[in-house]
Amino acid sequence: MRTVALSVNGRPAAAPVAARTSLADYLRETLSLTGTHVGCEHGVCGACTVLIDGVPARSCITFAAACEGASVTTIEGLETDPVTDALRAAFSRHHGLQCGFCTPAMLVTARDIVTRLPDADEARIRAELSGNLCRCTGYVGIVAAIREVLAAPPAAPAPVERALGPVGARTPEPRTGPEAPSAQLAQPAPSGVAVEESDTDGAADIAAQDWDQVMKDGTRLAQSFTVAFPPSTVWRFFADAGRVAGCMPGARVSALGVTDGRRQSVRGEVRVKLGPIVGAFGGVAEIETDEAAMSGTVRGLGRDANSDSRARVVIRYDVADAGSGTPGGTRVDVTLAFLLSGTLAQIGRSGLVRDVADHVTRQFVRNLEAALSGTPAAAPDEGVLDAGAAARSVLGARLLRFFRRLFGRG
Amino acid sequence: MKPAVFDYARPGTLVEAARLLADTGAGAKAMAGSQSLGPMMNLRLARPGRVVDLTAIPALRAVTRRADALVIGACVTHADIEDGRVEDVTAGLLPHVAGRIAYRAVRNRGTLGGSLAHADPAADWLTALSLVGAVAELRSPRGGREVAVSELMVASFTTVLEPDEIIAAIRVPVAGAGARWGWTKLSSKVGEFAHGLAGVFADPGRGTFRAAIGALDTAPIVIDDAAPLFGGPFGERLDQRLDEAALDRRLDERDVVDDYVRAMARVALARAAAQASARQASAGEGERA
Repeated sequence: MRTVALSVNGRPAAAPVAARTSLADYLRETLSLTGTHVGCEHGVCGACTVLIDGVPARSCITFAAACEGASVTTIEGLETDPVTDALRAAFSRHHGLQCGFCTPAMLVTARDIVTRLPDADEARIRAELSGNLCRCTGYVGIVAAIREVLAAPPAAPAPVERALGPVGARTPEPRTGPEAPSAQLAQPAPSGVAVEESDTDGAADIAAQDWDQVMKDGTRLAQSFTVAFPPSTVWRFFADAGRVAGCMPGARVSALGVTDGRRQSVRGEVRVKLGPIVGAFGGVAEIETDEAAMSGTVRGLGRDANSDSRARVVIRYDVADAGSGTPGGTRVDVTLAFLLSGTLAQIGRSGLVRDVADHVTRQFVRNLEAALSGTPAAAPDEGVLDAGAAARSVLGARLLRFFRRLFGRG
Repeated sequence: MKPAVFDYARPGTLVEAARLLADTGAGAKAMAGSQSLGPMMNLRLARPGRVVDLTAIPALRAVTRRADALVIGACVTHADIEDGRVEDVTAGLLPHVAGRIAYRAVRNRGTLGGSLAHADPAADWLTALSLVGAVAELRSPRGGREVAVSELMVASFTTVLEPDEIIAAIRVPVAGAGARWGWTKLSSKVGEFAHGLAGVFADPGRGTFRAAIGALDTAPIVIDDAAPLFGGPFGERLDQRLDEAALDRRLDERDVVDDYVRAMARVALARAAAQASARQASAGEGERA
């Protein structure tokens, strides 16, 4: 084993690898960047094509050890690349993908065509695509998508400065320090949650995030529920982040802090289980409350170390009198927006996520009611948010009926 | 599908690389861009005990211009030639050849020296660099020697290189202004290995009229004086002057017996000859205009 240090998607990566580990396996298995696909493993199908030092190369027949100091960009790192962005939209419009296996590498090659060959005609596009096999589309949609982007290309990234020789293979001389590899980065670092969390109260981490992006691009859900307690009681309860978190299935608070009168910070972990998928998102959240309006906003960010997935969540809640429906009761409206990145983002099917959120909300309400009335929760809390367990169990089915009745949604 | 276990070394100098390769007990193999050796190792067709990666050696990635030749470091890539990052001294032939090797993602790592040392009979550079009269500069602990690229390969995947001998550079003669060439690669799919491969190169200033035929399942046939093959000096309608009997004799000498391979060789050579003649004709018009 030797430690190979390189830059991947603008972030430094260093991990021990066996000499025989391909760059593709290093990306997929060590860094969990599974957007790079592995097909034939001898350089023919093109599914593993990534950018090395800004230009396409085969990661299945390039050894990770030979990329010491290189700058590698995978499909995950092209999230904010303007050319790739235009190509993604065009691929969607022209049905340029079906099963999606070839797509990440197809986009890498398409980006190379758009940036390197602005005058490419259809014949040239097809010749250039000969190194990326697609067995679904017949290439018609792919070629049409690339032609469309070539006809109105977004501002191209600056041309890549290249030394002679194989991309990714550095000679010792130009390397002056650990910063040297990233000097050739052709794309901005992806806007993700910082991997390294500070040991402060997390306010800086929270402030550094682009929360508008979460609201704009994230999956959005709205939930409402009523509880049989007066609004002032519910509001007081909501003001205590520790107790609210205690009602949240799978949540565990490890530290609480107060930034100022209206803001609270929470450090902790949320464990999520969805069938075989288990995530433990550790991170920080900040809760901002408006006493007069009885509303609050939670901004949280967390990272699951096992899958290297990151989540950013914005939750807004409004507490109000339930009105005639539940005399003396309280209605709580919750809107939630979240953005996942990394491995777990692959299961970002909104229907599935909505279902899980429904389930979480039901559990949360059940726990909230129990906490407000000072009785133990109606069902034992396993400490893990298990989305499937409740639906599978008789108790779960009964609870489901109960809450549907309670919320008038049954 | 993973390669068998091997030790990996990444020396920074030619001397160190040669020393690592000289240790015969290690089953050492030199590697450049890994675009041919990599697949073979993944398929476990190749199981070197030690891989000596040559790509960190600065000298192998340098290009030097001399008065009559361009010296190209062995680790210069196909894409470097294709894109013109390396000066062209062959009237456009080498960039043309480079751009038709495999796929762009492969060309960004595959190297001239690696291709020559690998000696796949269907690969492009052995035939193309032989066609322009290039010379390989070799280095070993015993010093240096030079071998014409046309003499480098002795059989499929077999060269005259000693185990500890490294191709350091390829010296390409500077062609004159009147140089003309034709190059044909026959494949059933863009980017795959050639089924037929041939080139014709004429440089009147140097008195050169050469032909080369590759993809023969053995070393390329390089004909230093192509005049007898075409019944006279380089000129127009060369393809119509191709002496098929003379070509058959050449193929017989090399024990090329497969009818398909022979037919592909004949067609590729005729097309390359026609292309070279057409360039001659259009250049002539240009001179008259």
